[in-house]
Amino acid sequence: MPQVTVFVPAPLRACSGGAAELRLEAPTVRAVLEDLERRHPGLYRSVCDETGAVRRHVNLFVNELHMRERDGLDTALVPGDKLTILPAVSGG
Amino acid sequence: MAERVILSIGTKKGLFVAEGAKSRRSFSLRGPFGTGVSVYSTLLDTRGAPRIYASSCNAFFGMKVLRSTDLGKTFKETKSCPAFPKEDGRALMNIWALEPGNGKKDLWCGVEPASLFRSEDGGDSWQLVDGISNHEHARKWHPGNGGLCLHTILPDGDRVHLGISTGGHYMSEDCGKTFAPANNGVGAGFLPDPYPEFGQCVHKIAGHKDAPGRLYMQNHGGWAEWDGPGGRRPDIGVLRSDDHGKTWRSIAKGLPSDFGFPIVVHPHDPDTVYVMPHEGMTRACPGGAPAAWRSEDGGDSWRKLAKGLPKKDSYFTVQRDGMDIDDLKTPALYFGTTTGQLWMGRDGGEEWTCLFDSLPPIHCVKVGVA
Repeated sequence: MPQVTVFVPAPLRACSGGAAELRLEAPTVRAVLEDLERRHPGLYRSVCDETGAVRRHVNLFVNELHMRERDGLDTALVPGDKLTILPAVSGG
Repeated sequence: MAERVILSIGTKKGLFVAEGAKSRRSFSLRGPFGTGVSVYSTLLDTRGAPRIYASSCNAFFGMKVLRSTDLGKTFKETKSCPAFPKEDGRALMNIWALEPGNGKKDLWCGVEPASLFRSEDGGDSWQLVDGISNHEHARKWHPGNGGLCLHTILPDGDRVHLGISTGGHYMSEDCGKTFAPANNGVGAGFLPDPYPEFGQCVHKIAGHKDAPGRLYMQNHGGWAEWDGPGGRRPDIGVLRSDDHGKTWRSIAKGLPSDFGFPIVVHPHDPDTVYVMPHEGMTRACPGGAPAAWRSEDGGDSWRKLAKGLPKKDSYFTVQRDGMDIDDLKTPALYFGTTTGQLWMGRDGGEEWTCLFDSLPPIHCVKVGVA
């Protein structure tokens, strides 16, 4: 399985033991989230609600592209890919 | 250590804790905790070693429950937060109420979408309460302007009273196992049926331990000029029950408006009750002149309490949990505003002082002596 890197934003690092990056093996974005649910449940709950949906104001990028511009949760990953978790911009 | 007056203040940008001596001459402020995240409910739990709880409702990353065991000097997240079972299909959107249960570590938690959770270990684990969360009416309730929230939890021995907007008043008589609507006399201005079985927009319910069966309700009033189906519905906004909520009657006569959000009972006198009348359209005190109103005869008559408050040009809202009263011998009333002021009214609101004037918008205020 491809080894990929997950970037954890600063507000969520309390849920990843302080790590800014997590390395894991997963073939899709969905599989990354399933891995996070097992190994970092607090981080998973911050990214997904209890129905399993990615929270409305959280964006997931595969390298430079938002996952919705690829195949969403079914986006296939290749070795070296970087999945970046970012809060959506907010203002006003 | 001498007892201190503790104010737990939930705001749009986190939780603040104010602490002062029992003289209440001045308060020092700590916080914000849960920085930048809205706090819609807080609880000062003085059963045993004092604890302060607060919901932290992060629009990005979801809900947390914060807990302090050192009177609000530090806060940590509890081990878990209320969550619906995955197969339920609902997702937690907000936490509106935290209240003590019967057991020493029991807590109740009311959430949006309107549901109830229970903890038996001080908030480290939570169970969905099916009797109300999966009640046959639950999928028929509709969200009000604040969302579909279960915002009031009022334990009374084996009884538990709930306020749901918009669901109405529900009551359990078996410690929260089963619930039934109890809205006889509770009006709804926004439905064709002026007195439906359920679906009212209850704003807050309060009771008193020395008056079993007595309840006060701030309902969604402001329908005196309504000309739609069913006609005018004056005075449905402030209500009283003397039979544990089975039937309700208006006590709004004498108030400048029957619309408002909080309702608070004096800690030593169940006949003394406070409201903060707002105009329905502005969600602010009538004429931009803030005042709390007090009844000392269970709602038969009302008196305006405005000494020290601005006389004009003040258009803040006091939200449903934005007012509380301490339980000292001569209690002070407190309210927080959506414009970030925290006011204290000595002698039960006789004379008002602004304790803090530039906090973030205030959602909730709870006071305790610990």
